[in-house]
Amino acid sequence: MLRDRLLSPYQHGSSPLHRWPARTKLGVALAIVLLVVLLPRNAYPAYGVIGVAIVAAALWSRVSRGQLLLRLALVEPFALGIATLALLRPGGTELFLSMVIKSTLCLACMVLLTATTRFTDLLQVLWRLHVPALLVTTLALMHRYLFVLFDEMERMQRARRSRTFVAGKASAWRSSAQVAALLFVRASERAERVYLAMCARGWRN
Amino acid sequence: MHIPDGFLDLQTAAVAAVVAGLGIAVALRDVKRNLPPRRVPLIGLAAAFVFAAQMLNFPVAAGTSGHLIGAVLACVLVGPAAAVVVMTAVLVLQCLMFADGGVTALGANLLNMAVIAPAVGHVVYSTLKGSTGGLRRTLLAAGFAAWCATLVASLACAAQLAASGTVPWSLVLPAMGGVHMVIGLGEAVITMLVLAVVARARPELLRAGEPAAAAINSTTAFGLLAALGLVAFVAPFASSMPDGLEHVAEKLGFAASATAAHAAPLPDYAVMSLAGDSPLLSTVLAGGIGTLVAFAVAWFVARALTPAHA
Amino acid sequence: MLEVDRLNFSYSDGHVALRDVSFRLEAGERVALIGPNGAGKSTLLLHLNGLLPDRLPLMPAVTAGDVPLVEANVAEVRRRVGLLFQDPDDQLFCPTVWEDVAFGPQQLGQREPQLTQRVEDSLAKVGLAGFATRHPHHLSRGEKRRVCLAGLLACDASVLVLDEPTSDLDPRGRRELMGLLTRLPATQLIATHDLEFVVEICPRVIVLDRGRVVADGPARELLNDEALMLAHGLERPHILRHSHPH
Repeated sequence: MLRDRLLSPYQHGSSPLHRWPARTKLGVALAIVLLVVLLPRNAYPAYGVIGVAIVAAALWSRVSRGQLLLRLALVEPFALGIATLALLRPGGTELFLSMVIKSTLCLACMVLLTATTRFTDLLQVLWRLHVPALLVTTLALMHRYLFVLFDEMERMQRARRSRTFVAGKASAWRSSAQVAALLFVRASERAERVYLAMCARGWRN
Repeated sequence: MHIPDGFLDLQTAAVAAVVAGLGIAVALRDVKRNLPPRRVPLIGLAAAFVFAAQMLNFPVAAGTSGHLIGAVLACVLVGPAAAVVVMTAVLVLQCLMFADGGVTALGANLLNMAVIAPAVGHVVYSTLKGSTGGLRRTLLAAGFAAWCATLVASLACAAQLAASGTVPWSLVLPAMGGVHMVIGLGEAVITMLVLAVVARARPELLRAGEPAAAAINSTTAFGLLAALGLVAFVAPFASSMPDGLEHVAEKLGFAASATAAHAAPLPDYAVMSLAGDSPLLSTVLAGGIGTLVAFAVAWFVARALTPAHA
Repeated sequence: MLEVDRLNFSYSDGHVALRDVSFRLEAGERVALIGPNGAGKSTLLLHLNGLLPDRLPLMPAVTAGDVPLVEANVAEVRRRVGLLFQDPDDQLFCPTVWEDVAFGPQQLGQREPQLTQRVEDSLAKVGLAGFATRHPHHLSRGEKRRVCLAGLLACDASVLVLDEPTSDLDPRGRRELMGLLTRLPATQLIATHDLEFVVEICPRVIVLDRGRVVADGPARELLNDEALMLAHGLERPHILRHSHPH
């Protein structure tokens, strides 16, 4: 369902872009982002070229356009707010435009990266780049149990909804807080069991 | 509070990344040294929990909802060092997987939400809670700490944006600060609500945030780093403040007439922060009043959540 | 071979979970562990590879083959005695199936290319060849359980201890698991509520109630004993009530 699709940006495919090694894709994506950020504000031709390149790559990868556009559309109100503030200065319009264009280009680049690269492959790259083991393990465990926790959360919310007869903000807050609390309790109990499972298979810290 | 790409210039982003890296390194070292192996998977599960909990809706008005950030909640539930790792993982996942927060801005976002927020939260929490805190005191400390952490993180964010020349300091400070003083109230209340339920179900789960003797060094280190992170950005503006204060003292008698100054956006930074002496004074006043209000809210909610003596 | 000799265990709150539990499994045996909820089945299973108690006693109560379960031998016992947890999500903590099955062998020091060979062999043994790149979250319950089994087989476990392996499986998953367990040569101890399952594939049964072994013998005989079954929160399985001798 929609939430599951939102949670896993990876779209399975066999295009050449999919088959590029993860470290190459990550490197290229970061290079593009860096380039975009470094460009002067009014480098519109350069923006155009990069934009076209990204669109071309997206078409080449044959990922669903609808999915990509959906992710692009989820712009944070925070970013819009700051960009609007930037308008309130002399020369603000140019600044505003450059911020919007730059952030959109970088966003598109990263969205395409995650649509064609498995998160677990990205983690491998981080591991090889000597990112501290504890951090990589945390990322891996978090990614692994994210969906499990979301399922639990959904079940809890459904159970609560079926027992809620009076809608109201206060009860919604209390209900969400209870779900969060229960979710944490279950998560910590599961963490305990995962620890046992790791030890059972020979894990020594 | 996730800053996208293109909003920060590279120098600011780089400085923020370095300070964030230091903070995270300190936290990782603390975790490796002090966290029993038994609790290592908990960090991963806690990160998944924070990510999931951030999706919960707390309806505010007409379709809009507030959401939890979770830095202080994590501090109380798994300890400050682990909370830094937890928030780091959440932010990295959000950046890489969901492009929530720019890649070049990752350092700044990490600094604000994964280092400064837990650090400030922990310092406030452990100070207020003391060593003999009952549930009511714990909740009050956690709630107020959540508010402080949200506000300070937003100020750091504002400083980074201003230092990049994206937005003028005189605009972004009141805007970010003002908005997050309100958002912080939501964070405080949500944090307290969740902790109250956890405390009733499993009181032992709240002990993780207790400052252990060995962690005191880390607390100091954290506090210092958070302060450093802030100062690194605020310092350029602070230098102009003394002048601003002089102006305030001078013009106190004419406070009413000095309102027009801040409306005109001035490109010159040095002048900007003292562009209004009444804006400066009103900012300070607003900050003070906001803090008192936040503390009062936390106090009342903590009382409401613990009807019997705690 | 697995031997348990006068195993006792109490929780920190004083609650006695296991009293004087003793039994012996010969190599290749398939034995069911049955009993009411709260009897101590899961607690007992956690003792078999040293996850409980927190500090192993000097006098070992558990012996796996010729290796007594003491602090010095924990790693070897854990290799030999593979524990399948009730919730496969607890056990499948790695990002992909391949990494999860490889986890155990990696801890044991296996490296490429033997590692991949081992992973593929183990997956083939449980009928999941080609599943290596899958994400655990997308697997069915039955498939998750089989991946967990593959992980245990990859360590050359000679004793498999399973905690409620057929709970929450659909009939097909259950049949597949039963078929798989009958094909595996390892010694098996299976804690379960699924009495039909016990009748079909376990020749011997140990009944545990309130931490004590109250019966240990041929499955059909004990499961047919209505009084015994009812006394310990169980019942005669339907398959025995209605079966006609062929």
